[in-house]
Parts: sequence; structure tokens; C-alpha cells
Amino acid sequence: MLKAIRRFFGEKASSQVARQRMQVVLMHDRMDIAPDIMEALKNDIITVLSRYMEIDRRTIHVDLEQGKNYTALISNVQIKRVYRHSMST
Amino acid sequence: MAGKMIVVTSGKGGVGKTTTVANIGTVLAKKKYSVVMLDADIGLRNLDVVMGLENRIVYNLVDIIEGKCRKQQAMLRDRKLHNLYIIPAAQTREKSAVNPEQMKNLCQELADEFDYVLIDCPAGIEQGFKNAVAGAQTAIVVTTPEVSAIRDADRVIGLLEAGELRDIHLIINRMNHRMVKKGDMMSTEDIISLLAVPLLGVIPESDEVVISTNRGTPLVHDRGSKAGAAFHQIAARLNGEEIALDLEQKVTIMDRVKRFIWS
Repeated sequence: MLKAIRRFFGEKASSQVARQRMQVVLMHDRMDIAPDIMEALKNDIITVLSRYMEIDRRTIHVDLEQGKNYTALISNVQIKRVYRHSMST
Repeated sequence: MAGKMIVVTSGKGGVGKTTTVANIGTVLAKKKYSVVMLDADIGLRNLDVVMGLENRIVYNLVDIIEGKCRKQQAMLRDRKLHNLYIIPAAQTREKSAVNPEQMKNLCQELADEFDYVLIDCPAGIEQGFKNAVAGAQTAIVVTTPEVSAIRDADRVIGLLEAGELRDIHLIINRMNHRMVKKGDMMSTEDIISLLAVPLLGVIPESDEVVISTNRGTPLVHDRGSKAGAAFHQIAARLNGEEIALDLEQKVTIMDRVKRFIWS
């Protein structure tokens, strides 16, 4: 009964609280990507971008950013020149 | 003829790994497959008591690996099923008595002789875990609908994937459908969406589990048990049989009557 009253006043079900907390916790845990995988990811990004544009390989940064409800991959790349005819074929 | 090598793991302790191994192994043996269950929890063995075979142990896993006995000498045959064996862990040794390479070789040898090799993994993610997963091609991750178990399961899944083990299945143990309905427990759907691993089955929370371990007889021998029925389905799915998942367990009036009589 007491619980029903509390729910009525806007208290969330505990299962819902647990799910939301776990979404954030697991995201944090999974963020812990090994440096070699990060390096491989960076190299792959360079390879793909290089098909379309000339980029400054030394200035590329790849980082993961953790927000409250999201994880973002932030990459900063300096473009030197964009190829006029893409080499996508 | 190579058998399947399956490790049952969880990260967190006490979620039901050993019970799962014992019951899945028993069902597969009942289906006439030859099955060996390997207790990889060196120092904290329990598969032997759950199977009711604790009085028969002479040799153990470490003895095989150190060459003190032949494989056959350490294998204990089940009391009811002649095609079901267990290899107990050593109780007075350390996890470091075995290395992953040795476990891999042993699993490979066992898979030549048996249809199924089930490995009972210790809790944790250290040496014992690494030993237990070394020889497996498939992993079953057991979790419960609690935050600590789910977090540890996610960690273990990450480690398995990093170790190139990609055939991973999930079992959710101790599900209390009544609490889910009241909004006080994460549902099966919630857990699957968090962990993103295919579901093998859900085992309802049940007193019968404790009772069966008290007796040292796996639950699946008991026809009327709900949890036992869940293990039957799980083993069948593992065996490649197509059985639909019934996520919503219906509680019929008969169940209530039964619960009242048995309580």
C-alpha cells in the first residue's frame, strides 16, 4: 500500500532505476578499450579518410568521450586537400 | 568425431554455474549423448557434491594434468546415467597448478571421446577463469536479475570476446516473475538489451534447486519441477533443437494449488 502511494507520487519502479543505472555503468565499463585496439581503430579511420582526402596523419586524434547517457567517438583530423574525383570505386 | 566444448561462466560467484552444468549435463546424457563435466574450480570444488558423488573421488583434474593417473581413473560415473561422467577439481591445490595450454589439451582429448565436454568455471576473472575458458569453443554466461551479477556478466562477455571466443549464450537464473510484474525486478527483455547476447533460457527462482542440491540429485530428474523444465529446454536449445522461448511464465490455478500443497 505504502509503495502504491509512493508510486503515485512519482517514485520510479526499482527495476526501471536498476536498468537505467546499469546502462550507464556498463557503458563506463566497456569504455575501457585497450590501447592497441584504439591504435588499430585510428589507423583504420586514416585509411578510409585517405581514400577521399589528403589528411595530416600526425595531427589525428581519436578519443572516446563519456556523457551522462552516451558514449561518443571524437576524432579531430586536419584536412590538407579533398580529392576532386573520389577514389571510391 | 569431435565433441562440443562448452564453458559455463559468470564472473560473479553464487549465481548458479555449478547447478547449470549439473543439470544441462544430465539432460544431454538423458538424450543419450556421452557427456563429461569438468570441474575447473580448483580449491573450491562443488560439482561433485551437487552430483552426489563426493564419496567416490580418488583422483582429480590436477592428477591427470600432472600425469599421476590416467584420465579414466579420475572420471566418476553418474549414479543413474552410465554415459555421464564428472572429473572433480583438486581441493587442496591452487589454481596455478594448471595452465591454459594444459587445459586446452585435456579438453581436446576429452572432446575426441565424448559428445559434450562441459566445463564448470570458477568465479572471478583471474587464472582459474583463463584456464577454464582456454579449451572452450562455446561459452554460456549465467547471470541473475541483479545489478552486481549483470555487471560482472558484461565484464566476462567482454573478456571472452577479447579472447576470440565469440559463440556466447546467456542464461538468466533465479528469475522471479512475480517481482517483475510488480516492477521490482529487471525483466528478461531488460537484461538482454543490456548485455546484447543471445538468450538460451530463463530459470525461475525455485526452492526445488536447494532441495535437489541437498540430496545431490540434479533437478532435471524430477518431472514436475518448473526450474527443471527450464533446464530441459536450455539443454535442448544448446543441442540445436528449435524450441520457442516462453518469456512470460504463466501461473495457472493448478500451480497455485500445487504451491499451496507443497508449501
